[in-house]
Parts: sequence; C-alpha cells; structure tokens
Amino acid sequence: MELLEFARGPALTFAIVVFIAGVVFRITSLFLMWRTRDTSTGSARERPVFVAALREIARRMWPESVYKRQTMFQLVNGYVFHIGLAIIVFLLLPHILFFKDLFGISWPHLPNNLIYAVSVITAVSLIAALLMRMSNPAQRIISTFDDYFSWFVTFLPVITGLIATSHLGARYETLLALHILSVALLLVWLPFGKLMHWFLVFVTRSQTGAHLNHRGAQL
Amino acid sequence: MSDKNAAARGPVAPANTTLGEALSDRGVSRRTFLKFASYTASILALPPTAATAIAQGLANARRQSVIWLSFQECTGCTESITRAGTPSIEDLIFDFISLDYHHTLQNASGHAAEEARHTAMRENAGEYIVVVDGSVPLKDDGIYSTIAGISNLQMLEETVRDAFAVISVGSCAAFGGIPGAYPNPTGAVPISEIITDKPVINISGCPPIPEAMTGTIAYLLSFAALPELDHLGRPKAFFGEAIHDRCYRRPFYERGMFAKSFDDEGARQGWCLYEVGCKGPVTYNACATLKWNNGVSFPIQSGHGCLGCSEPGFWDMGGFYKPLSTAKNDPLKWAGGAAVAGAAVGATSAFAARSLRNKSLKAAAAAANAPATEEKE
Amino acid sequence: MPRDDRATCLDATTTGMALSVMAEVCRLLEALAASGQPGAVDLRSLPLTDADRQQLEDLLGRGEVRADLELAGRSEVWETAYPGAWWVRHLGADDRIASEEIAVCPVPEILQAHPDDIRAGARRLSQDLAALQAPAAPVPGDTNQETTHV
Repeated sequence: MELLEFARGPALTFAIVVFIAGVVFRITSLFLMWRTRDTSTGSARERPVFVAALREIARRMWPESVYKRQTMFQLVNGYVFHIGLAIIVFLLLPHILFFKDLFGISWPHLPNNLIYAVSVITAVSLIAALLMRMSNPAQRIISTFDDYFSWFVTFLPVITGLIATSHLGARYETLLALHILSVALLLVWLPFGKLMHWFLVFVTRSQTGAHLNHRGAQL
Repeated sequence: MSDKNAAARGPVAPANTTLGEALSDRGVSRRTFLKFASYTASILALPPTAATAIAQGLANARRQSVIWLSFQECTGCTESITRAGTPSIEDLIFDFISLDYHHTLQNASGHAAEEARHTAMRENAGEYIVVVDGSVPLKDDGIYSTIAGISNLQMLEETVRDAFAVISVGSCAAFGGIPGAYPNPTGAVPISEIITDKPVINISGCPPIPEAMTGTIAYLLSFAALPELDHLGRPKAFFGEAIHDRCYRRPFYERGMFAKSFDDEGARQGWCLYEVGCKGPVTYNACATLKWNNGVSFPIQSGHGCLGCSEPGFWDMGGFYKPLSTAKNDPLKWAGGAAVAGAAVGATSAFAARSLRNKSLKAAAAAANAPATEEKE
Repeated sequence: MPRDDRATCLDATTTGMALSVMAEVCRLLEALAASGQPGAVDLRSLPLTDADRQQLEDLLGRGEVRADLELAGRSEVWETAYPGAWWVRHLGADDRIASEEIAVCPVPEILQAHPDDIRAGARRLSQDLAALQAPAAPVPGDTNQETTHV
C-alpha cells in the first residue's frame, strides 16, 4: 500500500511538474533561438504561410507513392501503435477519471475488455517496431540511447497496465503502483527525448511546409 | 445463557476446569459446542470436517483469560464484537473467554479495575491473551493518552510482558488508524511497532468484522496456535482476498459499466462503484463474503464504495470519493510555477546561446576586418 | 431462510451453482456408499444467490427425517430425498443463517448425543430420580439444575 500511495502521491506530482516545466522549457528555448529568415522574394505560387503549414502536417501523414512499398510496414505498424495508445489512454474509464480529476472534463468510455484487446495489439505492434529497428542494419547503426529508451518508457506503461488488469504475479496494489510509476517515468523523460515529437511534430512539419512553400513547391 | 456481563464478572468455575465441564453446568451442551464449531470452521474457511476438531479443542481448553486494553480508540471495535439483543451462536465466544479487564464492559472501576487486571496477569502468567484496540501515542513521553495515571505505552508494556499472544483489534491498533493519520499530532503508532517479542495478530478494519475477531479467538482456543497470517500480520482466513475479488459487482467492472453517482440508475442495477471512489481492488477483508450484521449487507451492496478501512493509512489515500486511478494530491497546484520555471530556464538558455553567438560573430567580423554587421534575427 | 435487503439484481438470478453443488454431493454420496467415508459441502463459503439456494433445496428435496434444534439459536436439519445427504442449517441472531452445509454421512454429528453430554445427563437423571423418590430429604448436590438454553 505504501508503494501505491507514493506512486499516486509524490511520484505523480513530481512527474507532472517536471513534464510541464520540461515541455515549456523546450518550446520556449526553441522559439527564442535565432532563426535564419529567408528574405528572398517569394515565388509567384506562394500560398499563405498558415495554409502551407497545415498542408504539410497533413501531407506527411502518408508517404509519397515512390516510397510506399518500402515503408509500408513501418507506416502501418506506426499507425497501429499510435492509434492504439490513444485509444487506451483516452477511452479507458480509469484513465478518463484521472483526467477528470485534473481538468474537470470527461467523455464517454469504451468497455474494458475491448481496451484490453487493443492493448495487446498495441504491445505486439511496439515489439514489432523494436524488432524492425534492431534487425535493420541501417537503423541499427543510427539508433541511439534516446531511440531505445523512448521505446522502453512507452512500452512499459502498456505492459504494466495489461499485467495490472490481469492481476498477474503480485498483489494488485503493487501492480497498480508499478503502472503509475511507469507513467511517471514516461512523463519525466518525454520533454527531453524524441518523445517530444508529441508537440514538435507540428512545429517541424509547419516549418518545412512554410520553407518549401516560399520556394514555390506545390505541396 | 451466554451473556457478556457474565463474562466480564470473571470465571464462574475454578480455573483448572475445562470449558466443556464448566459450561455444561450452564446448559451449554457439547452439541452447542459443535454448532459453534461448524459456524467457526465456516467463517475461517476451514473444511466442514474441521468442526469436530474445533469442538473437541474448545471443550478441552481452559477458559481463556483475556485482558482487553483500550488506548486511542473510538470503542467501535468493542461495539462491533458485542451485540445487544437475543444471545446467539455469535455470543458464545463470551462463554469461552474470561474477559478479565475491559473499560466499557467491566463492572469494576477505578482501583478495583486495575487490581483485576494485575490479578489476571498474575494468575494466568504466560497464558493470557492481550487484546488491544486503539493506537499508542509516543510523542512527549506518551502524555496524550493516560489511564490510571500511567501512559498507554507503560500499560501496554507491563501487561504484555507475561502474555501468550497479542491481538491488535481494529485499524488503529493494527496500523495507527485515525490518530495516526496525517499529521499524526500525538505520534500514534501501531501496537506491532512497540511489541516485537510476542506474537501479534492484526485484525484490522474500522471496525473489524465481528466474526474476524471471534473466529480468530476461537481458533486460538481450539488449536492453541496462531492462524496463518499475511505479510501485514492479518489472518489469511479473513484477509486473504481482496474485496474486488469477491465483489458481486465485479462482472460490471469487467464490462466497463460504472455508476456515475450515488444511487443513480446504474448503481441500482448493480454496476461497479469505481467512479465514486471504491477502493475494493486494493483492500483485503471479508466484507464481500461474510458481510456485516450477520450477512445482511456490506458498504458496496448498500451502494457506497469501499473505504479501504482494513488497509494501512486508509485515511490518507487521497479521499474516499477519489477513484483509485487519480493522483492523490493536486499536482496541478504546481502547474503555474512549473510553467514559469520552464519558461525562465528556456528563455535564459536561448538568450545565453544567442549572446554567445553574437559574440563569436562579432569576433569573426572583427578578425576579418570588415565592418561589424550584426545579422538581424 | 431468505436474506432481506440484498441488491435486487442478485436475488432472482440462478448461476448454475446449484448443479455444481449437486454434482459434488453426488460424488461424496458415492464415496460414502462405497467406503463409508463421510464428507460435507460448506454452503456459506460458496457464492450462492438466493435463487441458487432455493434451486438447490428444490432439487435435493426432502426425505423422511426432519429435526428442529434449539441450541444457542435455532438450527434445522433435514434429510434430503437422497438418504445420507443431509441439509444442516444453523441460525443465529434474528434467525439469520449463521452457517449451512450438506453433510454426507449416515446421520449428522450434531444430531448425535455426545458422550460427555450423555455422562452429564446420566448423572443428572440419577439425581433427579433420587429427588423424586425421597421428597422429604434435602436434595444433595451443588449443581444448578436449570437448563438455560435460549
């Protein structure tokens, strides 16, 4: 019981504080850094910047047909675990209650058993992604600690959540504490590794879109 | 006739007669022993065939001297174990013990009461059981709870010295309970933190289920041994399973059907009470099987989530109505400060980087002997 | 004895437990018939709904023997329609079921008089007889003759 109280209490508070401070730190420092502004004359086909940014965010959701065949597995697998994670995090009632307690809003939930099935699929999908990374020679060479650790802190909540719901291996309060601690670990790491793409993906894609748009690329 | 006041008057037979002999004169037949034994075997989750052994053990036992010490407590545990109205099978336990000292139930008071305690300790040295309810304050030499001019700590230590076993009844004695809850102004501690050289059985709960108390005493009497205990010193027969594992609302939990508020349509249909704060998944007690008031009901059946009252620190679990999946404290309290801190560090680091870059650009320009042009950012 | 005040969602539903218990009783009864080995099924520890209990009672039926006991509250013992399988129900305060079992044996132990009780009864009977036969003489003895069952 003491581990659970630590997890629900000081551990979560610390993790959320570090998460907020870290995300604000990353975004602030990024936007306040210098930028090389392109002062050249724009192309005649230039669209408004905002439109170009949004179009690029959308465009990169799906690869160019040239690359499709080679990247199809990673693409589909990536969507499977991203959508799976979103379903688990936002449509399981205990999680919704967590957000309701923090923010005061709630929304409908899905049956627990359905989320259980989605979690299994998500876990398998994450393992497949790791295996792809480790078996592909090029990916193996360029993979860093960040790549592996970010995978680990994403996978851990999924697997600990499954184990807790299944009441496997230890008393439930211990399993639940481990699940909450794994989420705390994820929150603490997120701002400082590649998981920051939660927020930055929109920034980077917009920037690329604006840049190419200025040159007149038809996107 | 089984009667709690009779028990509190002391043993009615010479100390060396067995319970079987002593009680047969009072009309408690061996057959009654067997009925009590069947009931006890059932609540202890022993096989029904153990009833014979229990009946035999009880009948051959001496009347057990019990000294009940009450410290920082609310008397709820005593209320739970006793019962007004028609004497019944559940009250038989008071025929099997000699309740030699109990603040609420005993007839004697003042010096006479303390004399009774010391007499019982002397005459039953090495064989009496000490039952404790309430926690013991340690702060400031234990001045926050005194009885008969001595602190609870002193009374506990002197009484337990020649005892055979100690039973900590209720969450206060077992884990510190409400006096021990944050901020614990009296320095309240569980009995097991003070008594380390005698067997201590914890029967937690706020209050404990009466059968958990009487069943454990009956087990001790019948088998002259401690029942199997879990890692918190609680008898596994009563605390081996979580409420969640035996809750009749469990199928609704599995299917994700939750009551949204007290007594709404879902709650009346038997839907799970997770959302209104039920701590059933992390609470170990027999409420879902034995229930309360001889099997009438228990909190979840009455539509209220489990409080977790048999677990350590249940008062400090964040709130009875906060679901288990929520943060205990209020993390967003720090959100503003965290954002400001992050922004401050971010801005500082960005401007530091910028000024470093400007310096190096200036230096490069000066070195190239060109007019210093600062790139406009 | 039906329990009051339970969640209405439970009372009327049968879960199939009655048939499981019956199968267990059958197994024990066959063992009793073959080797004389007695057995019992504790009903209190099983997750039986009221409907399950009623269904089990109906399925097992009634036999030739019924006994009402008065000892620390009431108890009821009856032979089911299957000789050797007895239903033993102990009631506590306010006639609530304190414990309940299906005892598989020639006769439940609770119906038998215990040797200690027999000894005490014989002693008492001889004293009562002596008192009846010699009314003038003061009754020797120290025992409280009152039986104080409730």
